[in-house]
Amino acid sequence: MSESGEGTGDSEGISDGERISDGEGIREKERIDRSRRDRVSDTVRNLFVIATRELRTIVRTPAILALAAAFVASVGGVAWAGTGGRGGFVPLTLDLLTFVEVLVPLLAVAFGYRSILGDRGTGELDVLRTFDVSRVSYVGGVYLGRALALVSLVVGTLLAVGLLVPTLTADIPTFLAVNEAADSGVRYVRFVALAAVFTLVVLAAVVGISATTRSVRTAFALAAALALALVLGIDTALVAGIASGLVPGDGIGVLLALSPNSAFRGLVLSTAIGAVGGAEVAAGEPLLNGVGLLAWWLVSLSVAVRRVWPVVESIEE
Amino acid sequence: MAILSPTGTQWLTVLLSVALVGASLSFVVTPESGESLRPVDFADTVNMGGTGVDARRADEEGFVLPQVEVFYSGYRYVVGYVGIETAVSELGDASAQRQFGDPLAVYVSDFSTISPTVTDAGFVVPERGRSVGWTPAETAFYVVGSDATIPSGAVTVAFSERDDAAAFADAHGGDVVDWETLQSRIDDPLPATLEGFEQSVGERHAGADESVAVAEAREDRPVSVVVGADADSVSDRATVPIPADATSEPTVSDAVDAAPPNTTVYLPPGTYDVDGVVLNRSITLAGAGVGAESGAESGPESGAETVLRGDGNRSVVYVRADGASVTDLRVTGVGDVGSRGRELRNESGDWDTTVQLAYGYGDAGVVLDGAAGASVSNVEIDTHASGAIVRESPGSVIRNVTVRGADTASDGFMGVVLIGAPSVVQESTFLDGRDGVYTHRADGSVVRDNRAEPGRYGVHEMYTSGTLVANNTVRDAEAGVIVMTRPTDNLVVGNDVRRSTYGVVPAGSDSYYARNVVVDNEYGLQVSGDRNAFVDNVVLGNGVGARANDILPSNWVLGNDFLRNERAVESEIGPLRTWSHGGVGNHWGALPIADGDRDGVYDRPYRPTGTVDSRLGTASGATVLARSPSVATLRRVQGTVSGLRLSGVVDTDARTRPFHPEIIEDALAADSSDEMVESESVDETATTAGFGGATS
Repeated sequence: MSESGEGTGDSEGISDGERISDGEGIREKERIDRSRRDRVSDTVRNLFVIATRELRTIVRTPAILALAAAFVASVGGVAWAGTGGRGGFVPLTLDLLTFVEVLVPLLAVAFGYRSILGDRGTGELDVLRTFDVSRVSYVGGVYLGRALALVSLVVGTLLAVGLLVPTLTADIPTFLAVNEAADSGVRYVRFVALAAVFTLVVLAAVVGISATTRSVRTAFALAAALALALVLGIDTALVAGIASGLVPGDGIGVLLALSPNSAFRGLVLSTAIGAVGGAEVAAGEPLLNGVGLLAWWLVSLSVAVRRVWPVVESIEE
Repeated sequence: MAILSPTGTQWLTVLLSVALVGASLSFVVTPESGESLRPVDFADTVNMGGTGVDARRADEEGFVLPQVEVFYSGYRYVVGYVGIETAVSELGDASAQRQFGDPLAVYVSDFSTISPTVTDAGFVVPERGRSVGWTPAETAFYVVGSDATIPSGAVTVAFSERDDAAAFADAHGGDVVDWETLQSRIDDPLPATLEGFEQSVGERHAGADESVAVAEAREDRPVSVVVGADADSVSDRATVPIPADATSEPTVSDAVDAAPPNTTVYLPPGTYDVDGVVLNRSITLAGAGVGAESGAESGPESGAETVLRGDGNRSVVYVRADGASVTDLRVTGVGDVGSRGRELRNESGDWDTTVQLAYGYGDAGVVLDGAAGASVSNVEIDTHASGAIVRESPGSVIRNVTVRGADTASDGFMGVVLIGAPSVVQESTFLDGRDGVYTHRADGSVVRDNRAEPGRYGVHEMYTSGTLVANNTVRDAEAGVIVMTRPTDNLVVGNDVRRSTYGVVPAGSDSYYARNVVVDNEYGLQVSGDRNAFVDNVVLGNGVGARANDILPSNWVLGNDFLRNERAVESEIGPLRTWSHGGVGNHWGALPIADGDRDGVYDRPYRPTGTVDSRLGTASGATVLARSPSVATLRRVQGTVSGLRLSGVVDTDARTRPFHPEIIEDALAADSSDEMVESESVDETATTAGFGGATS
């Protein structure tokens, strides 16, 4: 992660002359009972301005672009080198599942750990606050901007390698009846949708860390620890728990839902692969897994909003 | 950067949201699952069980075969089995599960739909005009142990209605059981299959022994006519006893015409010029032998041997009588036309006639034509066409015959051609020319203990089923033993092929390829066809050990040793094949894979076709790469839904020790001694041809 690259994300978005907020309106104090609707529309407008600024930052950060290229190459390589791309959508899903699970947290760390911290370090955060940007606008904008880039990358790459399947699969002899249940593009699309959700959740967690920490070292350590915990730690702890008898066998379903990786994996196995994957699917509770992912997302973003700066009472109130 | 404006961002957000919402619609759409699968036309399934004979006879005679259709979770096609037993044992077999995944839906032939009756032969015949329907296997009722059979054995029959099953059992015996009980009753079919093959090997050897014994007895007929000399003058030098009453004739033709049936025409040593000797009676044409083993050095003028010299325009000896024999002589002056296909091709265009004309009417040293039980033994033939052509002569025997063919495959033709009836070819030697032994519809023939260094193929079977090709030795050929077309029930055992382009090339179905030793060939053993068993072969030091080009993974490959091949397995088409069964795999040499429990089986499956596994032990660093998380991950996931994935072979029970250490040792030792023999007699075998416009 190049610091200079990240540093180029200046406040150009604002200097473009787009209005961060209706400053004049405030100054004149004409309407104290300003409608809630205006407030919401301000928040949304500011959010998109911030998001645009984040997108600009990303396209100007070579390190992130290089990582994105590495991701595309890895996923493409797995699809090409493995037998999945030539085998069908379900084999491809199974091939990619582990790689997505490992690579997406790493990408999320790269895309997000300096997002808010960078602004704080350069003082841009303080400048932005003088424009009376709400915390939701700011955090939401940062998150949206980064998420747009990251989700587009993940979804775009996965859909692109999905196109390899019809290209690489050998022609089906017409004299044989096809077993329709064995493979289906629908199952792959489900996998891509779940991958997008997983990406959003993990990125939220990283943005939460970026908002909470006050030094690059802490942020990096925490983000790295998060990625490690997601990819290895939580599941290893769970296995250790089962081995030592601390975790009862029937509690596994609930505990798996607590880890975004396991929840994602469980959802892919139960909804995208299903019975096609071979052995009877015991992939936990889809509903619990969904709730688990939602909880991670909500908690991470609310922590980010609450910790980005303290609430400031309006003077007029 | 104009696109990166807040409006652009809004559009991008909307676009991505729409895409994600659209993708989420996939959760509303239900992909096909087991419940929605319906049976398909059986002809459209990938057929995994049952023999061709069953299917053909059922078609011809109008009885029905109990069939099963299985939709596997990991296989793109519907798999069809003939015989409920076959399907049940396959469903219970772990290697089938690895290959195809779990069964999502299983349908069986529903005999409730046909009000079945059973013929005297035990075949189940439907009521007139009814056709067999399908019923889900889980809810069907099965009658086991009844009188119902198909040509290959007793069968279980299924009914959707319990009452129908009970009625059938009342009428024809047997118990009514449900699916679960049925599954617990069926055993692994492989041991019985292999036992059956071994029994057939024994039976066919015994049958051949009998033919040979009969032929040998006939060769010892009393001499009635001596050619070209007084009986008295030759009797002291003769190799056979000459009775005092034996007469003398000046020419071979005169002698053959004069000899009464069941006697011998004796040709004392010397060279006899003939223009087509015809044996029309059951007599023996015997010479004094051929110049010992060193035939090439002792020319036709050599005093010790009898030489029949043709006029160079046609075949030399025609045998047209049952039980006639030709022994102990050398045949030269054979015409040089290998095939008269073009001249004789008839208007009918019937392929069988065409092939017979092409291969059965060329020039040969000896022609057996409709001569049942006739034999040719201890004969050497120098020919630029065929050595012996055997047409429609059941029970005929070619024994200890040496055929020296043309220098190149394109100039020469076959050592022995067998057409239309079972014959025995044994202990013979075929040098140069095109193929050693060529068969066309010679069902039931036995080709054993021969040696060939042919221009093209050692043993070449076309449209020929039910044969035994055993213990033949082939060197420097384009192919050692090659089976073509789609025959069934051939047994290819104990052959030894080295320094050839292809070792053993099978085709067809329900055949047995066992105990063959293929060494130093470009391609060792080919695994193809349907439901063939490849067992106990030793595949050593070939460019490619095994070629897997079976489209349907229905062959058994186990108990073989694949060693020192540059590439263990090459596979191009078809889904994953599991080369192990019931815990028995193959030996691939010492692999850098752990055997933690020391049970002689490597702990993880070995993929001889895998990008990394195939280089284990050969490429430096392959072991390091094989242990990388990424390769391990890919290897792990490749085990799932493997039936959908293309190509490749996996051995789930690779052995740490060879199955046949003695054979391997012998093969290596024989290889080096063989080389020495080779270098001594280099002039004899130096010329081997490349492709010569040979047709087959």
